[in-house]
Amino acid sequence: MRRPGAIEKESIQIQTVEDLTGVFESIASTQVAKVKGKVELSKQFFQLLWKRYTSIRVDPNARITNRDLTQGTGKTVFVIISAEAGLSGDIDQRLIETMLQSYDPKTTDIVVLGTHGATQLIQRGIPFIRYFQVPESDHYIDVSPVIEVISPYARILVYYEEYVSLGDQEIKSIDLISSMRSMSEDADEDTMSAYDTIFEPSLDEIADEMELTMMTLALSQTILESSLAQAASRFNAMAVAKKRANELLSDYRLEFHRAKRSESDHRLREVMVSLKKKKQHARTDA
Amino acid sequence: MAFLKPSTDKAILNVIARAPFHIYYEGPARTVSASNRVGQFDILPEHADFFSILEPGEVIIDTGADPITFAIHSGIVAVRDNEVMLFVNM
Repeated sequence: MRRPGAIEKESIQIQTVEDLTGVFESIASTQVAKVKGKVELSKQFFQLLWKRYTSIRVDPNARITNRDLTQGTGKTVFVIISAEAGLSGDIDQRLIETMLQSYDPKTTDIVVLGTHGATQLIQRGIPFIRYFQVPESDHYIDVSPVIEVISPYARILVYYEEYVSLGDQEIKSIDLISSMRSMSEDADEDTMSAYDTIFEPSLDEIADEMELTMMTLALSQTILESSLAQAASRFNAMAVAKKRANELLSDYRLEFHRAKRSESDHRLREVMVSLKKKKQHARTDA
Repeated sequence: MAFLKPSTDKAILNVIARAPFHIYYEGPARTVSASNRVGQFDILPEHADFFSILEPGEVIIDTGADPITFAIHSGIVAVRDNEVMLFVNM
């Protein structure tokens, strides 16, 4: 059996781990609450804007798919939205594994957002053409550099993490162009045409501007969703780590008390033995 | 510049002014002022249906009490049946 002093020393270290995971757990929980509000606001904004975009009958199907692809290679691009740092549990690993199921290096390029995802790809020896840091979710998300890189591709598939609940996060993928197309098919907004509406500067320029805005917002939405899912995953990972640390601490306490008891039993035994020996000596002397 | 539609009994504007993460104002208003490439414009009740890209500058919403003012770097305005939607700072 180990000495109580050594056990106590280790249990203090475990206590520190437990305290730290507790702190990380509450930080993640605060972040979930903060990002959740933003995701809701951003979704409402997107829906309102989409309602107006679809009302200006410029056939979104034709416009979105009618992008200038002459510079492109006809290839597909996968956009991977991962966490900027670790401590997010296994969510980024699941993201990469899901992406790999449909990845073909001959026809697909990868653009990765987030250091954690980039590291995972490097570790697996999977090449990517560009890496971007995940924009700070507390601020305005400027995804224009990403849009610039991905827009020449024939197909844009975004892999991201979705928050279902605090205990459940899923890996999702959307085809950026098709999803916008299907949303426009569902639109039921009345038409605003040049016949009864004033367009300044012009209907075409407004449609172009809105199209770019919608794409930017759609990508920003997925970044926000991922950020929320990552915070929830981090919360779960920290909760599990805290529980494990707590269990370890209980084990250490038990072991410490056993060691203490054994130590005192050992001393008591020594005293008893020495008393017995003294008594024997006394009897022999007498 | 103000384009008028035939008068109806709707006399006030219903304004929604939002950024992706922020609601500047949602509610009734008397006028909304902003600027586009053509210049500064005011939207009053009964304004014709209108769609425009906004220029960087200031948006002023006259609610009848204290006016609401905020700066924008980009935006789109859509006016229809006295409903004004401002999508800004995207």
